[in-house]
Amino acid sequence: MKHHRRFILLLALSLLLALVVSACTGAQPTAAPKPAESQAKPTEAPAKAEKVTLNVIMEEVPDYDIVVALTKKFKADNPDIDVVFDAMPYDAMRDKILTSFLAPKATYDIIIVDNPWMDEFGNAGYLTPLDDYIAKTDGYDYDDFVGPLRDIGEVNGKIYGAPYYNYALGLIVRQDIFDDKGLSAPATVDDYVKTVQSLTTDDFYGAAMQPQRGYKIFEEWKNWLYGKGGDLMDDQGNVIINNDAALKALQLYIDTYNTAAPPNSLNWGFDEALRAMASGQAATMLSYNWMLPTLNKPDGPAGDLAGKFQLYEVPGGKAVLGAWHWAIPKNSQNADAAWKYISWLTSPSVDKERVIMGGAPIRTSVLQDKEVWEKGFGEQYYTTVLKILEDAEPLATGDHAEEVIDVVGAELNAAVAGQKEPKQALDDAAKQVEEIMNR
Amino acid sequence: MITRRSFFPFSVRLIVPLALALLVVLVYPLVFSFWVSLHDYSLTALEDIRFVGLKNYIELGSNPSFWNALRNTLVFVFGAVFLETMLGFSLALLLHRPGHRFTNVFRSILLTPMFITPIAVGLMFRFLLNQQLGVLPYLLGKLGIQIDFFGSGQALFSLILIDVWQWTPFMLLLFLAGLESLPAAPFEAARVDGASWGFTLRKVTLPLMKPVILVALIIRGLDAFKVFEYVYAITRGGPGDSTETILYYIYKVAFRFFRMGEAAAMAYVLILITMVLVIILYRLMTPKEEA
Repeated sequence: MKHHRRFILLLALSLLLALVVSACTGAQPTAAPKPAESQAKPTEAPAKAEKVTLNVIMEEVPDYDIVVALTKKFKADNPDIDVVFDAMPYDAMRDKILTSFLAPKATYDIIIVDNPWMDEFGNAGYLTPLDDYIAKTDGYDYDDFVGPLRDIGEVNGKIYGAPYYNYALGLIVRQDIFDDKGLSAPATVDDYVKTVQSLTTDDFYGAAMQPQRGYKIFEEWKNWLYGKGGDLMDDQGNVIINNDAALKALQLYIDTYNTAAPPNSLNWGFDEALRAMASGQAATMLSYNWMLPTLNKPDGPAGDLAGKFQLYEVPGGKAVLGAWHWAIPKNSQNADAAWKYISWLTSPSVDKERVIMGGAPIRTSVLQDKEVWEKGFGEQYYTTVLKILEDAEPLATGDHAEEVIDVVGAELNAAVAGQKEPKQALDDAAKQVEEIMNR
Repeated sequence: MITRRSFFPFSVRLIVPLALALLVVLVYPLVFSFWVSLHDYSLTALEDIRFVGLKNYIELGSNPSFWNALRNTLVFVFGAVFLETMLGFSLALLLHRPGHRFTNVFRSILLTPMFITPIAVGLMFRFLLNQQLGVLPYLLGKLGIQIDFFGSGQALFSLILIDVWQWTPFMLLLFLAGLESLPAAPFEAARVDGASWGFTLRKVTLPLMKPVILVALIIRGLDAFKVFEYVYAITRGGPGDSTETILYYIYKVAFRFFRMGEAAAMAYVLILITMVLVIILYRLMTPKEEA
């Protein structure tokens, strides 16, 4: 038994050490996984005027496929520049990008930046200012990017990001049902609530909602907040997420969840809501504007329902704006070549081609282009998207946007789950946001 | 015999390469992360790393999210490991039939869940248990039963059940190996003495199996502490913060908010708590006359 005891103790201790190490690897920046070496090789400065390889980190989304297809043309026209993509799911990106920032030689010459990260990366000095590059690029027409998208890429008066694609929210409805019932698109949040409640039956729901904790619920609910005249902060930077407008917006949201959303959908995110719409279980959802072409695609997820969906501005008008931007890390050794590629891809002519292929629009001229309307998804779609983009604001800004989104999203979800009173949840959210801002 | 008298005995020299390797891969990260835990260390402000002493540790005391995550984790670990032990042991007793024709077939089938990567299991159950799209709620609905698997109050228990589905086979494997290696003599003696099945189980099988059970509990317990994938794939910690586990919380603070100092302090507190639990478990399971 003595031997047994020693053996067990030894085993227990070694297992404990294994746990310790796996728990602690989170504490060292070098521990983040390395990029897939088959795709992205470390950047090397060109010794002579040799071929430059640009490594680009990307998210695996439909817009990525379009960029890859377009890039073939760039490579053909620029034999001295090779573009290598390292595509991955969203959740893997943030720490990979940061690891690349911290490395002596950048892993990535071009990165894409989600809007909550822009201020944080810009203020930390990790990105190359693009102002001079933009000024020197003929025919780039920077002001043609829709205003709120430009605003996201600018930090403290400097431009760090060139827009890649937008993911502003719109209201997607089953137009056939709205037509049958003689309903028009709801203009206010209160109209919306009444409409979706009237459409709900025992096995059909007015709204496929996304109250999943964190990003999703905050992204959805903030449209309601705007609709009731609220905001996260006022012009002076005071946190006002617990004022009367916010409380009203949250009460309405909870009421709608309880009366017009599919039951037990408290952990629903984007996927589930889309499936509910595509399978004909729900009449409306607040979602990314470019989900409309996906739902209306004849061989898409909606099957026979394809063509019956329509896009509108969110009730109340002002929408939550999400956007990805192209940026060049400060430690990239191929910044000039990187800008050459970015400016080519986001130039008015190539961007038009990208949007015709199904990419999410970013330029006013492209959204108003008749050729785009004809070859793309029709005039109504693009004019609605332009209206949405012009009156939209990001979910959160500042150095701690990611954390603000998380804490507010947790409190909102707790209120919908009934774990907290709406007022209490909003007060708690406001308190935490203030703490984060003062950090 | 000469080597025993030399300064570094042969046995010690044999261990040196491994000891050095461990020093590099274990001690360095440990020391470095402890150093980090004593600093205000943010990955987006590396030029402004300040020594703060035990501030990160002290502030954990008033951090409700940390304690909530720890409580959720403990509920998860105790719930999951308890059920897995019970089920695993029962299944092992059922399968302990030396020479039975289908033993290997049943073992293979029962072990399958263990070989699936946890993140895939998480995604699988996210849709399988989905009220609108899932098979299970549909079948239960036919029987008139409505359960909101990921609703407030049930979500953590659902995650426990998913863990039980995946890791009971592991317990089964350990217990079965243990049962098969038990000496035959005590069982024969019990049979000769006319002991009933239940009596033999309580007085012979369980005492003999104690070391195996202890190892199984420690391995599974430590592993369950690291629960991350199910939370990440299914609930993201919700509803509210009812399924936020400690590793998910540490991951968030470290890799989404980049506050490495706080995350390292949490990791160290976690180590301490785990160590205490292992020692308590070890004491409880060791026969008293030897303790």
